[in-house]
Amino acid sequence: MDTPSGGLVRSHCVGTTAVVYASDYLNKLTGEKIEHECRRQLKCGCRALIIDFSDTKLVNSIGISILLGIIDVAEKSGARIVFSEVNNQTVQLFEMLGLTRHVVLAKDEREALINLSRFEATTPVVH
Amino acid sequence: MSSRSENFRRVLGRVIQQDFVGRATELNRIIAQAESAKAGRGLLLLMEPSAGVSELLRQAYDQIFNRRSDVIPIYFAFTRNETTAVSAAIEFLNTFLQQYIAYRRDEPVVSEAPLTLHDLVELAPAPDLEWIEQLVESYNRLRFSNDDKTLVRFCLGAPQRIPAVRGRPFVMLDGSQLAEYLNGAVVLGTEILRVFARGGFSFVLAGLRRQILEAAHDANCNFELLDLLRLEQLEATEAGKLVEHVARRQQVATSEAARDLIVQQFAGSPFFINTYLLAAREKHATLLSYLDCERLYVDELFGGHIHRHFADLLEEISPRLDTRHLLIRLLWEAAAGEEQISSFEIWRKRLHISAPELEDLLHRLHVQEFVNWDETTVEAGSGPQAWKDYLKIRYRLDVLGEPRALVVADMLADSLKRAPHTMARHYKQIANAGLRELISRFNCQQVPAVLFDYAKFSEKYKGAEAETIVSGLGAETEAFKLPQTIHLATCSAFISDMRQICEEEHCLVAHTFEGATYSDAQEVIWLAADVESKLEVDVAVARAWCDRFESLAERLGFSRYQIWLISNQGFTEEASTLLARRKALGSSRQQLELLASRVRETVHSAVVETSGPDEFMMVVPMGEDNELIAANTAEQIAKRLTFRPEAINQIKTAIVEACINASEHSFSPDRKIYQRFRVESDRLVITISSRGIVPPNLNGAKSGAEVQEASEERRGWGLKLIRTLMDEVEFERVDDGTSLRMTKYLRPQKGTSANE
Repeated sequence: MDTPSGGLVRSHCVGTTAVVYASDYLNKLTGEKIEHECRRQLKCGCRALIIDFSDTKLVNSIGISILLGIIDVAEKSGARIVFSEVNNQTVQLFEMLGLTRHVVLAKDEREALINLSRFEATTPVVH
Repeated sequence: MSSRSENFRRVLGRVIQQDFVGRATELNRIIAQAESAKAGRGLLLLMEPSAGVSELLRQAYDQIFNRRSDVIPIYFAFTRNETTAVSAAIEFLNTFLQQYIAYRRDEPVVSEAPLTLHDLVELAPAPDLEWIEQLVESYNRLRFSNDDKTLVRFCLGAPQRIPAVRGRPFVMLDGSQLAEYLNGAVVLGTEILRVFARGGFSFVLAGLRRQILEAAHDANCNFELLDLLRLEQLEATEAGKLVEHVARRQQVATSEAARDLIVQQFAGSPFFINTYLLAAREKHATLLSYLDCERLYVDELFGGHIHRHFADLLEEISPRLDTRHLLIRLLWEAAAGEEQISSFEIWRKRLHISAPELEDLLHRLHVQEFVNWDETTVEAGSGPQAWKDYLKIRYRLDVLGEPRALVVADMLADSLKRAPHTMARHYKQIANAGLRELISRFNCQQVPAVLFDYAKFSEKYKGAEAETIVSGLGAETEAFKLPQTIHLATCSAFISDMRQICEEEHCLVAHTFEGATYSDAQEVIWLAADVESKLEVDVAVARAWCDRFESLAERLGFSRYQIWLISNQGFTEEASTLLARRKALGSSRQQLELLASRVRETVHSAVVETSGPDEFMMVVPMGEDNELIAANTAEQIAKRLTFRPEAINQIKTAIVEACINASEHSFSPDRKIYQRFRVESDRLVITISSRGIVPPNLNGAKSGAEVQEASEERRGWGLKLIRTLMDEVEFERVDDGTSLRMTKYLRPQKGTSANE
């Protein structure tokens, strides 16, 4: 079930994976809302994040810089992160700014979940 | 002729409307001052000496009179006949009432009839009788009160007493006749401005520019409520028309050659041209040859209107005869090129007068622009040619005591000998106006570099057809970015010795900034010379010019300079090699003309750009995601140009980034983003501007290292994205804020005719 958090960011959890939905325009304000939601999900014990861009038509550089911040936070928490359903123009921007070096892109949410489950299966659990 | 023209009545104008030439812009400006939008504002008409203003104001009066609106025109000219401020102010009151009643009764004849105040009360229309009677009664009480200042203020303030329902006064004061020097304790010029500036009605005060500005400062005028209009001599074409009109009116036969000489000899001065042609009529002279012209000119200098004009001025400036003779000597020596700049003390010693007397004298000379006086030094030698000739005559007659016949003969011979040189200088100025105009238009345009390199140009294009050259230049890949010229003057304005080497307009010094960036590092002084030569300039001449300019640059402390030599036929191979070695530029006349046409085109297209039909402009407030409004607008425009969706998205992202940059970095005072979208056949040009200060790393001129550093900061990505997404990105330098121009080209896709 989708959870409306602090702002208008939609999200839901699939196991230990949180799926967060980006809005149609990713800028400072909406970026910060996504960041807030991701941090909240990580604090709640999520081990992986999927940010879904299916609604996103336009992204600006501040939004992208916030995404990089989210990737940093996820890395520090030991969580995996996947971006799903990113349109071609946005992929182009991510590539220009080197974002694709730090994140896995998936065709859609389903592929993102499969990708994450494969990773979890091959990663030894350290106690 | 239209019925409107037929009904037009001449009231104060000395010439009919159609004969008043050369001052259409100024006339319209004065009349506009009478409109309600300018209510309560004053217009200072700053006149260059002998530029002529009286007829301009009379024409304005007539036009307003004929309109029959609620604006009541009042024209008053201070004359030398008035001896005190009080008598001038009383005369003003009388004129005001007379012209008011003439306007109200719609009887032009009343405005110049010899009427007393008593007559005027008798003539006052019934609705005005009460306030006019009160005004006259108050005046009669004040007249004998011994309080001059109050009386002057009362008289000058009379227009304020017109009841609002009876109309708005528009007062035009012609102060070209030195009202300031009227005797008495009241300084009239200052009083006029004190009363008028606070009077609440619109007015025009015309007079000598130095005098009027000084009076405005002395009266502590609020310059926010004052408009300024400068009145200079007429340019040659207009002055030529004036000569034709006046000559026809005065029935003086003239030739084209004589007309042009008159224009040049009097430097386009309406005052001298009118005075001179009036003298021609009085003497039944024809002006068909140079000899006719110079004979009349010399007659005028020795005993005509021009003589009387200068004699009156000199007497006003220096009333004592002995001092006047010493002054003539001093001024003539300066005009002849000796000791043009001296100290106040030297002048005092040579004129044998006290310091306060000299201050007064120098002030009067300064106002007339016969000298430039800055409290400590006096620079003499200026003034029109007729003034210099008059001084020479006075010097020879009064100081040296030479026989009059000899001085007359010499003056006539000298004037005749000078006439062809005067015209030759004028023709050369026209020919060289091209170079001057071209350099003055330098404003960061990109031009083919080959236009500054004669050797390369010659190798590629010598003997080629004009069309081939133009298309060849269009394909040139090596560009030269012109600087922005901020000041241009002749070399001789910097170093007078240069006059002996070349004609003034042949040799120019231009202060420029590269990329219109106002910093020491970008400041470059262009030293340009048009070298006279019928053949290709040889190495010796080229070297001499380079040496000359290098020496000039050293003397004037120009640390960065660019030498540019122009020659009709270009330069020999050896000379071109030398120019290249000395990092000097060299162009032939043909290259210069090609350059001029390119620079003109750029200027022209810049004009079209602001008013083009395929241009959209939008202003949005910063913040609130307003960049999306701009992006969506661009999307609609780009769709019309059939850009493909990917390109449209790139454009939108670039606009969003540009708007973010403007919002984040401009410290904008109005918090607004100005957008312009220009549609061309093969491209969309978008300009995003904002006011405010822009951090230096955004001006587009940063180094590679700086770019790298900036890109490492996440917030520095905007510009990087824009540069990647758009085809051309350029920061246009503006004085306040920044302006980013981005261009996206339409590109046909494989298998399609256009960009999808």
